[in-house]
Amino acid sequence: MDLLEYQAKEWFREIGIPVLPSQRIDRPRDLKGLKIPYPVVLKSQVRTGGRGKAGGVKIVTNTIDAIAAAQTIFNLPILGEFPEVLLAEAKYNSDREFYLAIVIDAVARRPLLLGSTQGGIDVESNPEALQQVVVERDFSPFYARRLAVKMGLQGDALISVSAIVEKMYALFVQKDLDLIEINPLGVSSTGELMALDGKVTVNDQAIARHPDILMMAEKKASRPNGRPSVAQVGKWNEVDKSGNIAILGNGAGLLMATLDLIAAASHRKPSVCLNVGHGRFANGGLSFCDRVIQGLELIAQDKSIHAILVNILCSVPTTIEVAEAIAAFVQQHENKTHKTRSHAQYPRLVVRLAGTDLEAAKAQLDAVQVLSMEDLDEAIAQVVRVAKSSLPKRSE
Amino acid sequence: MKLKPDSKVLIQGMTASLGSPYIARMQAYGTQIVAAVSPGQGGTDSDLPVFDLVEQAVAAVGAIDTTIIFVPPYQALDAALEAIACGIKQIIIISAGVPPLDMVRLLRKAEANETIILGPNSPGIIIPGKLLLGTHASEFYTPGSIGIVSRSTTLTYEIALELTKAGLGQSIAVSIGSDAIIGSSFLQWLQILDEDETTEAIVLVGEPGGNSEEAAARYIAEAIDKPAIAYIAGCHAPAGKHWGHTGTLAAVVGRGDNVGTAKSKLEAFQAAKVPVAERPSQIPELVKKALKKK
Repeated sequence: MDLLEYQAKEWFREIGIPVLPSQRIDRPRDLKGLKIPYPVVLKSQVRTGGRGKAGGVKIVTNTIDAIAAAQTIFNLPILGEFPEVLLAEAKYNSDREFYLAIVIDAVARRPLLLGSTQGGIDVESNPEALQQVVVERDFSPFYARRLAVKMGLQGDALISVSAIVEKMYALFVQKDLDLIEINPLGVSSTGELMALDGKVTVNDQAIARHPDILMMAEKKASRPNGRPSVAQVGKWNEVDKSGNIAILGNGAGLLMATLDLIAAASHRKPSVCLNVGHGRFANGGLSFCDRVIQGLELIAQDKSIHAILVNILCSVPTTIEVAEAIAAFVQQHENKTHKTRSHAQYPRLVVRLAGTDLEAAKAQLDAVQVLSMEDLDEAIAQVVRVAKSSLPKRSE
Repeated sequence: MKLKPDSKVLIQGMTASLGSPYIARMQAYGTQIVAAVSPGQGGTDSDLPVFDLVEQAVAAVGAIDTTIIFVPPYQALDAALEAIACGIKQIIIISAGVPPLDMVRLLRKAEANETIILGPNSPGIIIPGKLLLGTHASEFYTPGSIGIVSRSTTLTYEIALELTKAGLGQSIAVSIGSDAIIGSSFLQWLQILDEDETTEAIVLVGEPGGNSEEAAARYIAEAIDKPAIAYIAGCHAPAGKHWGHTGTLAAVVGRGDNVGTAKSKLEAFQAAKVPVAERPSQIPELVKKALKKK
């Protein structure tokens, strides 16, 4: 989960990383009670980058200008995202700008300290200036000093920069972060340091063990413009909006393999891949078979999808139990269709199950007229054919 | 790695919702489960001796070769550290969603103690017909001479099923796990399969993300004598979708944009002259061809 700049800076302030005096602005009239002396920088609080270029950052010198600028920024979407709050911050004159970050290096399987004396927007264009230090063993401040030395710093700058890296590391561990970044770290003519912008990403898997972060995440999830949560059912991956096939499967690797096969067979990628996970885990209290049924329901709501390929390798639960779940889904929809005397209003199903007792499972699906087979290549050919032929059916 | 059918196996987290049904399956497969550890339930009356602490289990049943951890993800670090403290050298973590920084701590400790960690988010290891260490669905496997190493669970079954249907049994199948930070790597398992006497050919199953397939391709070219073939799932998957933050990381540390993509992996295997299957059903044919060449 990405934090907004003002949230990141609250954490910076708590741990002792220098930040400018600032105030959170929820609505333009909040600026009347501004306690920071002008000139002030108003910054749109969105999670996407490039907000400066997009017009989401404005320098203002009096209350009237500030309110007008705030109204403009509140109404300016940046890559589709409207800010919920703005940050009003004192203006800072930096002499130079540094870059500091800590990430987890999945290859070294260790935290990685990153630093450059060419920060700001230049950091990406100067990758050779970016220095790295792997925190091989338990962290100790010398790793931070090693980074500062590699960055070419000496004297007081070496000491003050490594002190900030040390505090960043403390936050990184304390809050289970994937990323903590200060860019730019302003350096004044007197050598004073200031975190002018901050980016913090909390590891999603660790959020649940931090009550304070969990609260932030729940707030974010309940926002009216937030996407609906399908987390209980599985992982929903949109692949290609122009596609008309959805895949429901158990396991990310299996889904990716299935996606490749459909793309190769039809020259068109599937629209959606829904991973309902493994039988060995109970997601959000839903059993595996419930996740299959709920997943089919979710996909069926999308009218652009004409066919669903269910690809499940069964063990726990068995092929028979999974077939029962799919049959229950079909019957429920057939009943509905019968009552309203309309045509079937859900996508055509092709079911590929593998495991033991396949014949009994197949008989269950035959009974509700659902195509099923064990061979994956055959299932792919079927679903591609069905998706093509059912085009008119859905639009009738 | 000690993978004998008579290896002594411990289960940590027996009452975790996912632990118990799998214990029976492993026992039915012949795995020698000697004890279980479940804090607060020590001394419970059951067929399997249950202890509160790993050290109590070791004191009662003697040295343990492998422990299989089923505890909830936030307790996995503690369970593994407890196992290491009791001298257990092989740890399999089935639990999914272990926080990355917990894994960093665990791996520092494991490396210092020469302990091998498989997982997390791994179904473990299966030696068809002989040994099941984890949650592999054994019905997809049949004994034979093909080794499989992969990162996923059900896709491993898919590959085993294709091989089985083509009359090619499997010697060992292992999934290194699909959490962001994992213990043992493809390289370690390639080496184990290369040294394993039953294994005659190796199938490596990769996915986009990280650079372990690229490293594996180089390692196969340099150090593996047995025929190896590869399959990469997710060639058409949207870039960056399945590998979270490592994508931005690669850009930040200047490793180039192509690192971790399916394309980069395919190129690495081509450069290493490792045949790559286009789809799972093509794997048996490539394996047979590679075995003939040998």
